[in-house]
Amino acid sequence: MPAKFPSAEWLQGLVEKLNSDARYAQVAKNWEGDMIIVIQPAGSLTQTLYFYLDLWHGTCRKAEMLPALDGVKAAFVLTATYDNITRILLGQLDPMQAMMTRRLNVQGNMAYMMRNIPVALDFIRCAREVTTEIL
Amino acid sequence: MQPILQINLTTGETSELVIPPAWGRAFLGGASLAARLLYSSLTADLDPLSPEAPLLFLNGPLSGTAGPAVGRFVVCGKSPATGLWAESNCGGFWGPELRFCGYDGLWITGKAPRPVYLWLDDGRLEVRDAASVWGRDTYEAQELIKAEIGAPNAHVLTIGPAGENGVLFAGLFCDHGRTAGRTGLGAVAGAKNLKAMAVRGSKKILLAHPDLFAPRRSEANKLLKADNIARVTHELGTAGVANYADYLGTMPKKYYHQGTFDNVDKISGATMTETILAGFSACHACVIACGRVVRLADGEKHKGPEYETVVGFGPNLLNDNLEEIVRLNELCDRLGMDTISASNTIGLAYHLFERGVIGEDEVGFPLRWGDTIAAGRLLEMMARREGIGAWLAQGSRRFAAHFGAEEEAVQVNGLEVAYHDPRGASGMALVYATSPRGACHNKSDYFFVDWGQSEASLGLEFFDKNGGAEKAANVARHQNWRSVCDSLVMCLFANIPAEMVIGLVNAACGYDLDVEELLRCGKRGWTLKRAINNRLGLTRANDKLPRALMEPYPDGPVAGYVIPLDEMLAAYYSARGWDPQTGRPTREKLLDLGLEDVAADLWPASNV
Repeated sequence: MPAKFPSAEWLQGLVEKLNSDARYAQVAKNWEGDMIIVIQPAGSLTQTLYFYLDLWHGTCRKAEMLPALDGVKAAFVLTATYDNITRILLGQLDPMQAMMTRRLNVQGNMAYMMRNIPVALDFIRCAREVTTEIL
Repeated sequence: MQPILQINLTTGETSELVIPPAWGRAFLGGASLAARLLYSSLTADLDPLSPEAPLLFLNGPLSGTAGPAVGRFVVCGKSPATGLWAESNCGGFWGPELRFCGYDGLWITGKAPRPVYLWLDDGRLEVRDAASVWGRDTYEAQELIKAEIGAPNAHVLTIGPAGENGVLFAGLFCDHGRTAGRTGLGAVAGAKNLKAMAVRGSKKILLAHPDLFAPRRSEANKLLKADNIARVTHELGTAGVANYADYLGTMPKKYYHQGTFDNVDKISGATMTETILAGFSACHACVIACGRVVRLADGEKHKGPEYETVVGFGPNLLNDNLEEIVRLNELCDRLGMDTISASNTIGLAYHLFERGVIGEDEVGFPLRWGDTIAAGRLLEMMARREGIGAWLAQGSRRFAAHFGAEEEAVQVNGLEVAYHDPRGASGMALVYATSPRGACHNKSDYFFVDWGQSEASLGLEFFDKNGGAEKAANVARHQNWRSVCDSLVMCLFANIPAEMVIGLVNAACGYDLDVEELLRCGKRGWTLKRAINNRLGLTRANDKLPRALMEPYPDGPVAGYVIPLDEMLAAYYSARGWDPQTGRPTREKLLDLGLEDVAADLWPASNV
């Protein structure tokens, strides 16, 4: 269900994509860990957004937009400005390039992440495929 | 800049060399300044193991400060392995301590009549008899010398038995396994009867604008500490990239002949962290602390291996036992050999054994993939030049040639290829083919750029990792940047924007450089090293890759890919402004970079 980013509809579309995509199911079959995506204000975005996703064995068990973190924790926290997130989603910025040039910060268990970069990259592929428009 | 202390080991004479300020600004320091200083003395007929051969240790303008990952020094000369420009930099604390002695460098020539070590105590030099430590391994020598001089807080740079015995990939070692490993400068020290150099200093490093430097280095360190690459390197060591390198096909296996190896995770930095990691070690004032301390089944703490060593003694030999890699790494360090060249040459021996080129008659025992006991025996034989070790000690090119199989050696110009396969990251093809010291991954770690580290502040672009000629100019630009880093002498893991580096250099030196001028300093250094190599006999024909790397992998993530090297090289020469026929920097390019004397040497009037 393609949708405009960022929105609750976009997040729901991503959940549906993750739960129906055969390639993601295969690549992420061993992934265990929830994630918070922190989108910092830049450009047309004036306040920080928080997306929470519970990712488990190639599926997304839960996803929601949070008004604030308020003590919510996750195995991984990905942080980027709105400009950089949208560039990644539109395919204008490679996610590894973003991570290696300080435009996408990753917090969490680095041993787990380094073993599972292909999972992270396929997650972003799915996110790109549901992004039809940027608000 | 502080002066350079010149020492003639034959005569015992010393003098101080003051660097002209214009050279400081044009070459910054470190490797580029060393190239400028050594240019006239590195001649084609100079035997690198003769008393006349120079051995120049230099710091950079940021060394010894609390700047971001700048606690390094470089050692330069003529390589006994390649016959070309030699350069190897090293972390730890030795470089900063030398600076605290009031010197930015040591320039050593001559040959001591008997084994000696130097003791530089806050600027006061003593040449001491090394009889008590000659023959000792690098770990023992450091401790014995510190005890002998009564200075437990001194830092000792030493060679091991391999350097004493003229192994052509012998290095110099200090602190917790920190190594100037490549190009065989440990053998140059050994040929001078120079076992070690102990330094201890208390002098303050003077900065042009300390008030500007302090907040800039604080900001840089804060940014570096939060950087993804720095955190992976801290938490997992440099071998933290092993899984990803395997996934992309940039990690060689079975001496660059196999594209897959099921057990990479067993030897990865991630597994090291989760199983045997017991602590970290850092170079002077470094916020990354990539060094590993591991505890093995023997209950003892050992140095944990970095990425090159993990792959060299791991997948390169089809070994998946991490503890055995730790053991071989320590053995190599103690004996005083570069782990890349040593493991590469051992891989070649296994490869030739499998193909029947050598057998048990030559080796004395079988060489079977995955056999780490045999690898350990070969390391001992190399360092002592015993049996087949006498040939292994000369590096892969000479070893293979001796058995009539020179094309099988995975080396460029006599330096063994590091463990970043250009078939998985094609920019490395140009890097290996054109590096001033042979197949080196540090003169440009372009595999990182191929993975995504295309730093916008440097004007770098991001190309497909299996692209071709279109990335040639980008590779040259990255080489220029790394030439800057080697001049500063700054660690390649200092992943901070170029503007931040310039801010630090300008505050430290009182310059007003911008990005383009800084890169021009790097280009000047790179070009000068190329000219030195041209004078030493290097031509365009030397810019090539070994057979194994020009053939496609039969399996794995990059199976079937063939590097378009000729097209890439043509584009590279054009981007560099080098003569496409000879591979020499053009006269115009040399003049443009202010290298008039070099232009006159490379392009005599009759040839212009």
